[in-house]
Amino acid sequence: MYMPDIELHEATTLERAAEFKARYAPNARLLAGGTDLLVDLKARRINVDHIVSLNRIDDLRGVSQTKDGLRIGALTTITQVGNSQLVRDRFSAILDATSRMAGPQIRNVATVGGNLACAVPCADLPPILTVMNASVLLWSPEGERRVPLETLIVNVRKTILRDNEVLTAVDVPTQPPRYGAAYAKFSLRDGMAIAVASVAAGLTLNKDNTICDARIVLGAVAPVPKLVESAGTLLLGQPPGEAAFRHAAEIAMKAAEPISDVRGSADFRRELVGVLTQRALKTACERARETVA
Amino acid sequence: MTVTRTLNVNGAEYTLALSPSDTLLDVLRDKLGLTGTKKGCNAGDCGACTVLVDGETANSCLLLAAEMEGKAITTIEGLTQNGKLTPIQKAFIHEGGTQCGFCTPGMVLSATALLNRNPSPTTDEIKEALSGNLCRCTGYTGILRAVRRCDHYRGDTDPSGEAKKERTDEGGKRAKHDTVGVSIPRVDAADKVTGRAQYTADLSLPNMLHGKILGSPIAHGRVKRIDKSKAEALPGVVAVITGDDVPETMYGVSPARYDEHILAREKVRHVGDEVAAVAAIDEKTAIKALSLIAVEYEELPAVFDQMEAVADGAPQLHDRYKNNINTHVDHTFGDIEKEFAESDHVREETFTGNNVYQSPLEPHASIATWDHDGTLVLYSSTQVPHYVQYMMAHVLHIPLGKVRVIRPTVGGGFGGKAATSPLDLCSAILSKKTGRPVKMVYSREEMFHYGRGRHKQHMKFKLGVDRNGKIKAFKSEIYLDGGAYSSFGVATAYYAGSVVPTLYHFPAYKYDGFRVMTNKPACGAMRGHGVPQPRFAFECLLTMIADDLGIDPIEIRRRNAMTPNTTTINEMDIGSCEFAATLDAACEKSGWNEKHGNLPPGRGIGVGCGGFVSGAGYCIYRGQVQMSHEKGREHFQKRSIFPHANAIVKISEDGMAAVLLIGAAEIGQGSDTVLTQMCAESLGIPSSRMRIRSEDSDISPLDLGAYSSRVTLMAGHAVSRAGEDVVNKMRPYAARMLGCDEADVEARAGRMFVRWDKDTKSPTQSAIPNPQSAIADQQSATDDVAWEEVARQYFNDNGPLVGTGCYKPPDGLGGDYKGSTVGTSPAYSFGTSVCELGVDLETGKVKIDRFTDYHDCGTPINPRAVHGQVEGAIVMGASETIMEDVQYDAKGQILNPDLHGYLTMTIKDAPEIFSGIVDSYEPRGPFGAKEIGEGSTLPVLGAVAHAIANATGVWIKDLPITPEKILNALRDKR
Repeated sequence: MYMPDIELHEATTLERAAEFKARYAPNARLLAGGTDLLVDLKARRINVDHIVSLNRIDDLRGVSQTKDGLRIGALTTITQVGNSQLVRDRFSAILDATSRMAGPQIRNVATVGGNLACAVPCADLPPILTVMNASVLLWSPEGERRVPLETLIVNVRKTILRDNEVLTAVDVPTQPPRYGAAYAKFSLRDGMAIAVASVAAGLTLNKDNTICDARIVLGAVAPVPKLVESAGTLLLGQPPGEAAFRHAAEIAMKAAEPISDVRGSADFRRELVGVLTQRALKTACERARETVA
Repeated sequence: MTVTRTLNVNGAEYTLALSPSDTLLDVLRDKLGLTGTKKGCNAGDCGACTVLVDGETANSCLLLAAEMEGKAITTIEGLTQNGKLTPIQKAFIHEGGTQCGFCTPGMVLSATALLNRNPSPTTDEIKEALSGNLCRCTGYTGILRAVRRCDHYRGDTDPSGEAKKERTDEGGKRAKHDTVGVSIPRVDAADKVTGRAQYTADLSLPNMLHGKILGSPIAHGRVKRIDKSKAEALPGVVAVITGDDVPETMYGVSPARYDEHILAREKVRHVGDEVAAVAAIDEKTAIKALSLIAVEYEELPAVFDQMEAVADGAPQLHDRYKNNINTHVDHTFGDIEKEFAESDHVREETFTGNNVYQSPLEPHASIATWDHDGTLVLYSSTQVPHYVQYMMAHVLHIPLGKVRVIRPTVGGGFGGKAATSPLDLCSAILSKKTGRPVKMVYSREEMFHYGRGRHKQHMKFKLGVDRNGKIKAFKSEIYLDGGAYSSFGVATAYYAGSVVPTLYHFPAYKYDGFRVMTNKPACGAMRGHGVPQPRFAFECLLTMIADDLGIDPIEIRRRNAMTPNTTTINEMDIGSCEFAATLDAACEKSGWNEKHGNLPPGRGIGVGCGGFVSGAGYCIYRGQVQMSHEKGREHFQKRSIFPHANAIVKISEDGMAAVLLIGAAEIGQGSDTVLTQMCAESLGIPSSRMRIRSEDSDISPLDLGAYSSRVTLMAGHAVSRAGEDVVNKMRPYAARMLGCDEADVEARAGRMFVRWDKDTKSPTQSAIPNPQSAIADQQSATDDVAWEEVARQYFNDNGPLVGTGCYKPPDGLGGDYKGSTVGTSPAYSFGTSVCELGVDLETGKVKIDRFTDYHDCGTPINPRAVHGQVEGAIVMGASETIMEDVQYDAKGQILNPDLHGYLTMTIKDAPEIFSGIVDSYEPRGPFGAKEIGEGSTLPVLGAVAHAIANATGVWIKDLPITPEKILNALRDKR
C-alpha cells in the first residue's frame, strides 16, 4: 500500500479538466475528494499515470436551490450536504445516507460526485438519490447532458461517463406533497459502517391513502444500484401497510443479485434486502404522512 | 516530476519540493518531521493520521500534499501553544484517555474539531465525531470520559492536584500508602497527547536505509530458484538477501520447536512466508525491488483447516511433525470415568473459535544498526526486549551481551509483538551487510501475513455435574489451528488446558490437546494466551447445564467457585481468591436477579467468568542467561535459575530525583506508571520525583517483558526491593540525623522520620508528615528530616546512591507431570462480567449496551489503570466475540488483511462499562497486587455469548457470533 508515481494535472476549468482527461484516457482519472481513488491507487486496483484534479474548480462546490429542486455540486463534501439547511428542511431522506457514511474524516473530504462516479456497489448515495428521481449533469466540451441517475452506473466501478466528460452536479427534483423517502442500511458495525446491504425506498400517497408512486433501489447487492421497478409497480394503488410492503420485499429479494464475501453470504444479503425493504418503505410512508400532518 | 508547494502547517509556511504522489501524511512525517501524525493503516480506516484541514478532520493518508496549498493544516504538534496543553489534552491525561497512545493524536484532533464547533456535545455527538478513530486499548471509555469532562480542564487549574490530596482510608484514617493505590495519571500521558512520544517508525538514523520483505504468494510450495539480479540492478537498491545469505540457524519461541527460517530455504508454508529482503534508499524503492525478484515455486497441496490437517493423506508441512501435529497434550487428573459415572447430568457440546488478530494500532517496526565494536543496536517495537536480545544472539551467533535492544514507545501489543519478528532479524542482517542503519516497518497487510494472532480452536467438551450443579468431571478435547510454525504454540496448547481448572473446583479433569500445523500464518500468544476460547466454551456449557437443571447461572458458579489457598486438580497454587465476591458484586450491581429471565425477546443478559496467571512461573528458555547459540538442551529444574525481573534505582546527586531502571516493557498497558508508583512508595518519595528508563537494555537490567500478565507482580517486586535497598542504605545517615535506631527510620512523602511509637509499637500518626505541608513545615520539624538531605549525606561519603532489587518466582511451582509448568504462577486473578445487549431478531445485528465487571486483581496499584485495562479488554473481547475473524480463501490468501475488512469495534459499537474491583490482598504480590491485563478478557466472550442466547433463545457455538449465524440459528429453530 503506497502511492504509485503519478502526474498530477490541476485543472482550473472544466475545459482544462476535460482536455487533460481526454488526452490521457484511459490512463487518467479524475480526482475529487480522493478517499476512494487514493486507496484504489495504493492498492493497485486502479493503475493510471495521470490524475486530473477538479479541486480548483470552485464552481462545482455547494448546495443550492433551483427552480425545480435541489442542486448539489459534484465537489460538495458529504459533510456539507449533511449541514445544508436546504437538505435538512426539504430533502432530509438524503441524511439517512450521509449521516452514516464512513467516518467524519472521510465525510469531510469525500464528495457527492465521487460517491456517484466511483460506482462502488456499496456506495450510500446512489440508492437514495435514485429513489428521489435525481439526475446528474455531465459536462463535456460538446455540451452538457442530463441523465437519470439510474442510468449513470453500468457495472462495478463503471459509468457511462465519456473520456472528456465530467460529472458536475446532481439535481434532485422538489418532492411532491405526501412524498416520503428513506434509506435503510445494514452494516456489521456502527462506526465506519460499510453497507452489507441497503435499500432506499420512496413513495407518494394519494389523498385516499393509497400509493400512487413508489420506487425501490437496492444497494450493495448487485453490480449496480438496482432499481426494482416491479416492486414499485406492485405497490401502485395499494394501501400502504405490512402486507403490501412484505410483498414488495419479496420482489426486491428476488431482484437482488448479491455476492458472497467477507461481510456475508449471498443468502444473508438477500434476507437483509427483505427486511430493509420493509423498513425503508415503512419509514418512507411515515414521512409521507408527516408532510401533510 | 516534482512540484513546489507552500504548505501552511501549524501556522508556519513551508515551501517544499514534492512529488505529486506524496500524501500529506508522508510529507508531514518524512519532510517536516512531524511524527505525531501516525501511520496506522495508510488506507483511511483507522484515523491515526488525522489532521485538521481548515479546522475539520481528515485522514492525511488520503490527501495529496500537492493539493494542500492554501489550506491551514493543524497536526497534534500544533495544538499546544508555548508548551501549554489545551483543555482536551489535559482531559485525556487525567481521565485515562490514552494508553498505548498511538491513536491519541488523531483522537485528540477529532475531539478538538468537535469541541471547537460544539463546546457541549452530547454523548452521541461525541461518539459520532470520534467514530473514525480506532482505538484498541482503552475500550473508548477513558476517551469518552475525557471529552465529556473537558470543561473541567479549562483555565489554569491543575486537576492533577486531586491526586496529591492526602489519602484517607474508609475510616478516615490516613491511608497505608502515599503513592500505591492512587490513580495518578500515566507518566507518559503528556508525551502521548502532544505527539512527542516516539514510536519506532518515528525514528530516523543518519544514513539510514529502508528495508522490505518479499512474502510468498502461495500457501505451500518448494522454492526452486530465486533470481535477484534485476532487483539488485534497480537504482537505489543497496542489498538483496535470500535464504542463502542468512544464517541457517532456525528460530522461534519455544526452544524445543525452533522451526522458522529467517528467509525460506526450501519451502514456503503460508502466503506471506518470508522469501527475500531488500534494503534501499527509501521504502518505495525497496517495494519496487521486491517486484523484481523472480522466484520460481513448485506449488504443493496445502491444508487450511486443523481438522483436515490431521486426517490421513493430508499435505504435510514439516517432516518433524507427523500428521501435522505440532504439540500433543494428554492430561488426566482424578478418576474421570468414575466421576462421570456418578454425575447426575452430563452434557457434551462442540464449540469453534475464530482466528482473531491482535491488530495493535502501531504496525511492527525495527531499526538495526551496528556499532563499530560489533554491538548490534536494535530498535524494536516489542513486548519482550530480552527475548529479542536472546534470539538475535542465537540466530546471529554473537554473545547476548553484544545485542542492545532499544524499545521505543510501543503502540499496543496484546501478544502480537511478543516474539522476535522477521523485521528484527532482517533489519539486523541487512544492516550488517550494508554497514548502514536499516529501518523496516510492516504495512497493515504485512502485519496480518506475519500473524501470531489467536489460535482458532475446535473444542469438544463434556461436563458432568451432580443434581445441585456441583461439577464432578470435565473432559476437553481441543484441536488448535496453529498455522505454519510453532511460535508460542506449544505453550498455547498447554494453556488451553491448564488455566481452565483455576476458576472452579474440578474433582476430575481430562484434557487432550492437539496443536496442528496448517498453511496459514503462525498463530501465537494473544491476550489470555490459549485460554479465552476454552473459557468461552466452558462458560457457555456451564450456563447450558445451569439452564438444564433450572439453576441460576450465577448460582451454579457460586457453588463451584474456586476458594483461596487451594491447590487445583492440576496442581496450580491458588493464593488469594475473591472469585465469589466478584460473582456477588456483579450480580448485585447489574440487577441480575431482576433482569435475568424477565427480559423481552431480543433483549439479553449473560454472565461469564474468567481469570489468568499473574506472570508465568518459568522463563521461556531453560538454564541461565548465556551466549545462547552455544546453549545445549538443558535439564528442567523446578525453580527459577535467574531473577525474572530486575531493577536499579539511582538517586540524583542532589537527592531530588530517583531514576528507575528496569527492562519491563511499557507497551501501553501502563507498566511504567505502576512501577514508578511502587518504587516511589518503597523509596518514600512522591512519584513526581521519579523518572523511569525502561527502554534500553544497555541502561536497564533484564526483565522478561510484557507477557503472561507478569509485570505488575514480578517487576513490581523488583522495583519495590530496589527502593527498599536505597532506603536501607540511607538508614544509618537518617538514624544519625534523627537520633534513633536505624531500624526505626521510615521514609515517606519525601521525609525520613522515626517510625515507631516506643510505647505502643504502632505507627505514630503524628509522626507521619502530611505530604502537602511537609516542605512548608521543614523548619518546625524536629523529628523528621528531608529525604534529599539524607541522600546527599550518603553521596558525600559513598558516591552514587543506587539500589537494586530482583524477583524470582517461588521455587517448586507446579506439578511433576509433563507440561506442568504452563499455567503456573505466583498468583491468579478472578473476575465476573455481566453483559446486557439487544439483538435485532430480523437482521441478527447485536448491539452490546452494557457491561458490569468485577475483578479480583489483588490490591490495585493504580485503580484507574486497572479500570483502563478492564475497559479495553471488554471492548476487545466483545469485538472478537461478535465481529473479528481473519478469513481465507481456498488458496490460503487472507481476504481481509486490512482494517476495512477485519472489523474491530469503533466508539459507536463499544458498550457502556462499569468496572469494579473487589477487596483482595495477594500475599505473594507487591503491595498485595495481582494482574489485570489478560484476566479481564476472559469473562467477556462467554458473557456476550450467553447474553445473545438469552436474547434469542439460540446458542451460537462458533465464533464470531455474526448476525448471519444468529439468523441461521433462528431459522433452524423455527
